[in-house]
Amino acid sequence: MAPPILHNFRRAPGATIAVVSVGIVVAVMIIAPLLLTKNATELHVFRANQGPSSHDWLGTDSLGRDILYRLVVATRLSVGLAFIAAGLSAAIGFALGAGAILLPRQLRPVVLRFIDMMLAFPALLVAIFVGAIIGPGSKGATLGVGIAGSFYIARVASTLAISVSNREYVAAARVLGVRRVALLVRYILANTADALVIVVTATISSSIVFLSALSFLGLGVQSPQIDWGEMLTQGVQQFYITPVAALAPAVAIALTALSFGFAGEALARLLNPLLWTTTDGSGRHSKKDLAEILASSVASRGDGDEAVLQVENLSVHVPSNVGVVDIVSQVSFNVARGEIVGIVGESGSGKTTIANAITQLIPYPAFMSGTVRVCGSDLSKLTPKQTDRLLGTSVATVFQDPMSSLNPALRLNIQLTESAEVHRRVSRSDARQSAVRLLQEVNIPAAEHLMRRYPHELSGGMRQRVTIAMGLMNQPALLIADEPTTALDVTIQAQIMDVFQEINETHSTAIVMISHNLALIGQNCHRILITYAGRIVEELPNDRLSEAYHPYTRALLGAVPDMSQRLDAPLTQIPGASPDVHARPAGCAFHPRCSLAEDVCRTDVPPLVDREGVRKVACWVANRKLSTSRS
Amino acid sequence: MRDVVNTWGRFVAGRLLALVVVSVGLVIATFSMVRLVPGDPAVAAAGINVTPAELATVRHQLGVDRPYFRQLISYTDGLIHGNLGKSFITGEPVTSILSVRLTSSLILAGTALALVFVVAMPLGLAAGALTREGRHPRTNTVFTAVTSVLGALPQFLVATFLAFIFAVWLRVLPVAGSTPPFQSLILPAIAVALAPTAILARLVRSETLNVLAQDYIRTVRSKRLPAHIVYLRHVLPNVLTAALTLAGVIFANVIAGAVIVENVFARNGIGTELVSAVETHDYQVVQGTILVLGLIVVAVNTFIDLSLGVVDPKSGLRR
Repeated sequence: MAPPILHNFRRAPGATIAVVSVGIVVAVMIIAPLLLTKNATELHVFRANQGPSSHDWLGTDSLGRDILYRLVVATRLSVGLAFIAAGLSAAIGFALGAGAILLPRQLRPVVLRFIDMMLAFPALLVAIFVGAIIGPGSKGATLGVGIAGSFYIARVASTLAISVSNREYVAAARVLGVRRVALLVRYILANTADALVIVVTATISSSIVFLSALSFLGLGVQSPQIDWGEMLTQGVQQFYITPVAALAPAVAIALTALSFGFAGEALARLLNPLLWTTTDGSGRHSKKDLAEILASSVASRGDGDEAVLQVENLSVHVPSNVGVVDIVSQVSFNVARGEIVGIVGESGSGKTTIANAITQLIPYPAFMSGTVRVCGSDLSKLTPKQTDRLLGTSVATVFQDPMSSLNPALRLNIQLTESAEVHRRVSRSDARQSAVRLLQEVNIPAAEHLMRRYPHELSGGMRQRVTIAMGLMNQPALLIADEPTTALDVTIQAQIMDVFQEINETHSTAIVMISHNLALIGQNCHRILITYAGRIVEELPNDRLSEAYHPYTRALLGAVPDMSQRLDAPLTQIPGASPDVHARPAGCAFHPRCSLAEDVCRTDVPPLVDREGVRKVACWVANRKLSTSRS
Repeated sequence: MRDVVNTWGRFVAGRLLALVVVSVGLVIATFSMVRLVPGDPAVAAAGINVTPAELATVRHQLGVDRPYFRQLISYTDGLIHGNLGKSFITGEPVTSILSVRLTSSLILAGTALALVFVVAMPLGLAAGALTREGRHPRTNTVFTAVTSVLGALPQFLVATFLAFIFAVWLRVLPVAGSTPPFQSLILPAIAVALAPTAILARLVRSETLNVLAQDYIRTVRSKRLPAHIVYLRHVLPNVLTAALTLAGVIFANVIAGAVIVENVFARNGIGTELVSAVETHDYQVVQGTILVLGLIVVAVNTFIDLSLGVVDPKSGLRR
């Protein structure tokens, strides 16, 4: 156990400092009064209110007593009383909080409500109230702070106790007839001890502050006894003459309270290593890497004006611990006006990342290289403002989960109209009118009424219609639909697909439809791109899907069940699993799962070769066969 | 629709009932205070050097010469008629003592509260925007370190340090007993507000990060809207709910802070009154002050709960 603990400490110098200072404070608290009380109480009236000097390092107070000695001696009451108060808080708090669990079920909420209610009151006022009953002085103050702090501990204890008592082993013990008190001590206390230790440490920290505050107000430790709060009161009276007399105890209180607070946090991390969050996961890339990668991307051509979208040599790179990993590699494709292009792949194949790259929404710290042209404009050559304008008006995206893709705090009318208002400077009333028209177009009944609703008042299918209408507000040339029906049930799925078809026909909006569902894409798209491990492996018109060349596409087709299949025939599946981004195989990434794989597949990446003018395939074996059969 | 009205009605009724129950509890607790004083409260209040006749008068003033329940009823009756008793020391009615000083304290607390939200919301939002998805790790470290230290600094120490900087070091103002607003209001308000501001800014930042990671923000980003629309229209309302949840705790913190910071800057407020009343065993004044402060805290918490119910209907009605 010891080495990892030390390791944890080494990684957090702040925690080490906190724990060491707590140790020092406790040692001083015990030893100092034994040795230094005489020095601290010696009067030198002729040397009163002196500033710091070699004789009195922090100067003297109004009676000529050495402030440093007094400060050190005052540690005993300042910290000692806080220990007593925190102990009191722990005793009362645990009895109240965990004790609530022992009560019959009906009484439990009453006690928990009481704890919550007491927590709402300022702890300091509770402490002053108790202090007022007992009378000003260290006894009343300690009791007051102890009681005031107990409700916080009670709250934590009850929460912990409830969560532990709901676990199976406690239920089992209860069934076995373990008595309630035994249950509390043996199971609940034992399993929450670490958390309670932390809470108590935090309570010590706040008790130091509260007790000092009460002493400072004259309600706590009274002269001739001294604690830091009392010293502060004395010091403030001489503020203009010797400010250090007030600042020294103030700093002592602040530093001690902070040390206990941070020591508690350090303790928490020691007892529960899961709290250590590693922040060095994402890794950073040097400027040089970045420049090299960007330079390696091939310069773009500049033709094909009628294409809505041209993607050339698009790669998306993610810096990681092992270097820069490409999650999308050298992807090129075009989308013509009015065309519906499907991108199919398993999860992790990079299809969503391609969409994010087109809309410039790649999550940090990933970055892209290659060229994306939207309506003929190269995005990398535009200013940020021009990019916003172009993407805001020409491209719209419909995301996967309609339940979470609308802002829950805003009415739909605001969410529907804002992009038209911002990018086309349409007036709000005009924008509302066109929003209603679009809502009707995607088959939403009572569209005007719906505008004033919040998203949570709508069903999933309705919400997806809304997001589609929202995307159409600026009459985009391209609509990207990222798994638009995956989160919906099958009947709704078909309706939403019909909506896409209608939009495509009426507005000749080009659509890039992304899905893992080959059957869905095959039915709804003009052209299909098959992705595997971040690359396009095959591109073909939908009417040629059944004659796919690539073994992966063929395997996917085999995995689509259809009505002609015998019911008792086993479902085909592709052996193996789609490779992890960080461990993609060399050569053709599909070779470990491919029955046709040859030596060349294991070493060299197959190029995407044009076939018959309308289709492309990236497979060594398929391309060789096609070449030989042709000649 | 009727269902919504019903659940909403039940929610409001529940909160108001809780308000009444807690208020009654407060009245009983403050009333019982004198009875809980160890020994003879009249001796504690009047001292030992009094004649038996004087002691009997004190006993009567404190109400400890009559049975508990009868006295409780007459105390409650007084409360209903706005009578909190008289100061044992000055003979002045507690209500007139409090009415002047409460205004001064509420101005301080209100200023501090405004300061907390005005500073912490934009600060937390900006910090969240800056450090989203692990950007600017150094800013993140500095922000976390600074806010956790400031958030743990007790308000009376902040007040002391501020007094040192402005009065002793820069010599721009006297420590105590001044009237212009900078000295008497702004500085104490900063002292009260600093720690809760740091705590709230931290919460707002982590909540901003949370909201920024949501799917609906991705939708907003895909619309390519300018940053101020993304953050003010889409992120802020969602962060506000979380900030509102903490508002009750912050208000309690600010009230307690005002009570103690007043004493540092020698402001004539409810805090200075409370402290001197405790020192002089002026039980009636302590009773009245704690009761009024308690009622304010309870009322504000109820108000916050109700507004949470309005802002976030789903979370409020579930309970």
